[in-house]
Amino acid sequence: MTASLNLLTAGRRQTAALSVFLLVQTLGTVFFVGDVIGDLKADPISGHFIFEAIVTAALVLGILFGAFALRRTIELLRAQDQALAVARGALSDVIERQFQAWALTPAERDVGLLALKGLDVAEIAEMRGAAQGTVRAQLTRIYSKAGVSGRAQFAAFFVEDLLGAGVPVSDAAQ
Amino acid sequence: MATPRTATTRSLAAKAVVAPPSLWDPVVRLTHWGIAVAILVNALLSDGGSLIHVSLGWLAMALLLMRLVWGVLGPAEARFSAFPPNPVAAVRHMSQLLTGRVDHYPSHNPAGAMMAYVFWAGLTVVIASGLYLTGGATPMQVAAEKAAVASGDWSALIKDSDGESSDDEDKNLRHTVEEVHEVAANLLLFLAALHVAGVFVESRAMRRNLVKPMVLGDRRK
Repeated sequence: MTASLNLLTAGRRQTAALSVFLLVQTLGTVFFVGDVIGDLKADPISGHFIFEAIVTAALVLGILFGAFALRRTIELLRAQDQALAVARGALSDVIERQFQAWALTPAERDVGLLALKGLDVAEIAEMRGAAQGTVRAQLTRIYSKAGVSGRAQFAAFFVEDLLGAGVPVSDAAQ
Repeated sequence: MATPRTATTRSLAAKAVVAPPSLWDPVVRLTHWGIAVAILVNALLSDGGSLIHVSLGWLAMALLLMRLVWGVLGPAEARFSAFPPNPVAAVRHMSQLLTGRVDHYPSHNPAGAMMAYVFWAGLTVVIASGLYLTGGATPMQVAAEKAAVASGDWSALIKDSDGESSDDEDKNLRHTVEEVHEVAANLLLFLAALHVAGVFVESRAMRRNLVKPMVLGDRRK
């Protein structure tokens, strides 16, 4: 969750920085072209006109390619975001159905989900306003219902599913 | 595997069709607020012909050009094809507003789109007339001219005053362009006010905050 959020913020920062850069580029080009036109008016058969025309063309092309690259980056970030949302939804579907199959009680489901998210016993107890002993007992029951030895195997159960199935989308839709 | 994937894409596409973006891309936001600031400062605060007025004018020109390029090269909702100018649809949208039930669009609504095109046309007129009035001088040239005058070298002014006094027709034209510059600038201010009112009315009609996507979007915890 935090990692994907950082990814999103980083992506936003990157595209924002690229946009500002594109603006500076456009501003520079506009000034340069304005200057060239001024030069032309002052001295129409100036020797370095061809040179300035080439520079202008390079600047304009730079803006166009910059804009295109920025669009690709923005679209890539959106696609990643969507893929992540789909995968996340699919995974929570898988977990939900597996919990049902193990016949976990609602309380056990909550604790199991928090355990999967990587919270330790103390944190889970604090979040649920329960004693640590209660949480520990619930976790033990979850592990025995799932037939796993402990937290590591419990988490691995779902990761293994993902690795085996390949694409989580197809799992969820079936 | 093929079936679920198309189903997902279709549902995502369907969701995208009915709602404007939850966050506009950075180029749209940058050009939107940049142009807003440039116009407000130039219309209300800075003196015409001053260095800051000319600089902001050039900045607005760069921002406008960038937005127009983005209208061809940008992501789907920023492209002109997402909000084609369509006066008939704009009128239909306005009458829908009166009944309080409006269609939702993936980009600007038709009325907003017309507003954007008229605004860009007005801005083009203001920039073009401004360029004419300054003789196309860049901010650097304006600064150099002002520095020369400040240091006692009045020769920089001679060309201008010569042109004004010698040619009556030229003077008339210049006066007309000045009028155009001012009228078009006032039109921009009027459109901006209309735009703010429109955002307010649309936000209520659509029951969704239209300002947030233009600022930072939904900040997730």
